[in-house]
Amino acid sequence: MSGRWNVSVDRRVCARTGLCAASAPAQFELDETGQSHARAETTAGSDEVMEAAESCPVEAIAISDAETGEPLFPPES
Amino acid sequence: MNAADELYWDPYDHSFVVDPYPLFNRMREESPVYRNERYDFYAVTRFAHVQRGLADWRTFSSARGDILELIQSGVELPPGTLIFEDPPVHDVHRRLLARVFTPRRIATLEPQVRAFCRRALEPVTGADRFDLVEAVGAEMPMRVIGMLLGIPEADQPAFRDRTDSALSTEGRGRMEVREKEDFGAEQFRDYIQWRKEHPSDDLMTELMNAEFEDENGVRRTLTDEEVLTYCTVVAGAGNETTGRLIGWFGALMARYPEQRRQLAADPSLIPGAIEEILRFEPTGPFTARYVVQDAEFHGRTVPAGSAILFVQAAANRDPRRFPDPDRFDIHRVTQHMTFGVGAHYCLGAALARLEGRVAAEEILKRFTDWDVDWNAAELAQTSTVRGWKTLPLVVEGTRR
Ligand code: HEM
Ligand code: SF4
Repeated sequence: MSGRWNVSVDRRVCARTGLCAASAPAQFELDETGQSHARAETTAGSDEVMEAAESCPVEAIAISDAETGEPLFPPES
Repeated sequence: MNAADELYWDPYDHSFVVDPYPLFNRMREESPVYRNERYDFYAVTRFAHVQRGLADWRTFSSARGDILELIQSGVELPPGTLIFEDPPVHDVHRRLLARVFTPRRIATLEPQVRAFCRRALEPVTGADRFDLVEAVGAEMPMRVIGMLLGIPEADQPAFRDRTDSALSTEGRGRMEVREKEDFGAEQFRDYIQWRKEHPSDDLMTELMNAEFEDENGVRRTLTDEEVLTYCTVVAGAGNETTGRLIGWFGALMARYPEQRRQLAADPSLIPGAIEEILRFEPTGPFTARYVVQDAEFHGRTVPAGSAILFVQAAANRDPRRFPDPDRFDIHRVTQHMTFGVGAHYCLGAALARLEGRVAAEEILKRFTDWDVDWNAAELAQTSTVRGWKTLPLVVEGTRR
């Protein structure tokens, strides 16, 4: 887990749990309605961010490699 | 007297069980901030209000429970119950479980879930009449939780019965709250010891070993009591709710034969159909909270100290959100309120969807046409769940 990642939250599906912001507060924050968004479009890759994406109950968080654009989560199936 | 004066909703009145929707529609349109004096609660029914309220744990607390009777009883709830906690403690506990409940991990259970479902349907294959709830709905969710927790198969029916009776409502329909409610935790106690000696790839083992930083900043593993509480919470939350979903599948597919035929012809439509069933007949029709600071909906104040019900079953049919909401349509793409919203958004949503889809697929692989013997079918409402207790299907078409 390294390099620069693009991180985005799909607000059409975000269920406002606040869990990503609780577990990776440096990368995610909530707006006044409780929906999450990434604080910055690109960030340093880390286990913490990956775990936040994996644990999102609706898989609203997408991560891709900032250089190659390769999807890291959800993985291409 | 105007219409609003006559509007009365008694959540314990069994005459509303069959079709609560006309009343919910009236509440939503005529009295969006409904007050019931007799049972001393408020209720909101519009989608926007339900969404805002459930997402706002600072105003609407879960710490006294999310069931009206629990909130009003003031009973002491054991720590680590997740559903009955507010952030930040809630989030510490939830994150621990979220690691083992990720949608991708849940997806790996599919072959096991399917195998169970096939076994359950075997005895009724070829029958011209059978009770869907008895055959699949009552059994499957607890078996699946058992798979997650690693409970030996032979012991599983007993677990189901004990969890159900802890949450049931007797007589007038109000739940009996015991002085120190444990929701049937005792049943898991023996397994914790046993699991310690026989670790495996299951939720219980994982919970016993997971290291985390607790609310006091201490790195530690869970105590046995905490593991026990988690198991009980998961079993209580995921059993009847999901069982009733399977019953609603059988009932709605009988009521809408044209849409059933579409599903039978094209199983790729099943996930969308499950979402529409969840919207149309949410198995948990409402969720309660305790109001910790004055709140306002629709220009009306709900004072601190009140109990409030967020009626997801009404929100799911709010015409402001869903066009033609009383029409059942498997082709709708929606975001319903059935799994809640905010901090407590259903942890088991991916699992419930998986179970609903697999059950639907396996049923439709065997039976293409059925009706329900409506006179013999029985609908029940407990303090948390609404759905079919008995649902005799009359089989009219099978696959060769
Ligand atoms: C159709 C089936 C289901 C429905 C309708 C449903 C509905 C809900 C709802 C509305 C909540 C939020 C309660 C609140 O806000 O107070 C919830 C929470 C929860 N559900 Fe489900 N559920 C279902 C299936 C499951 C399954 C299969 C499991 C696990 C095996 C599960 C485990 C949980 C847990 C642990 C919570 C508490 C989450 C938290 O407090 O953070 N549920 N569920
Ligand atoms: S974890 Fe997922 S659902 Fe929850 S706030 Fe973050 S993006 Fe939204």
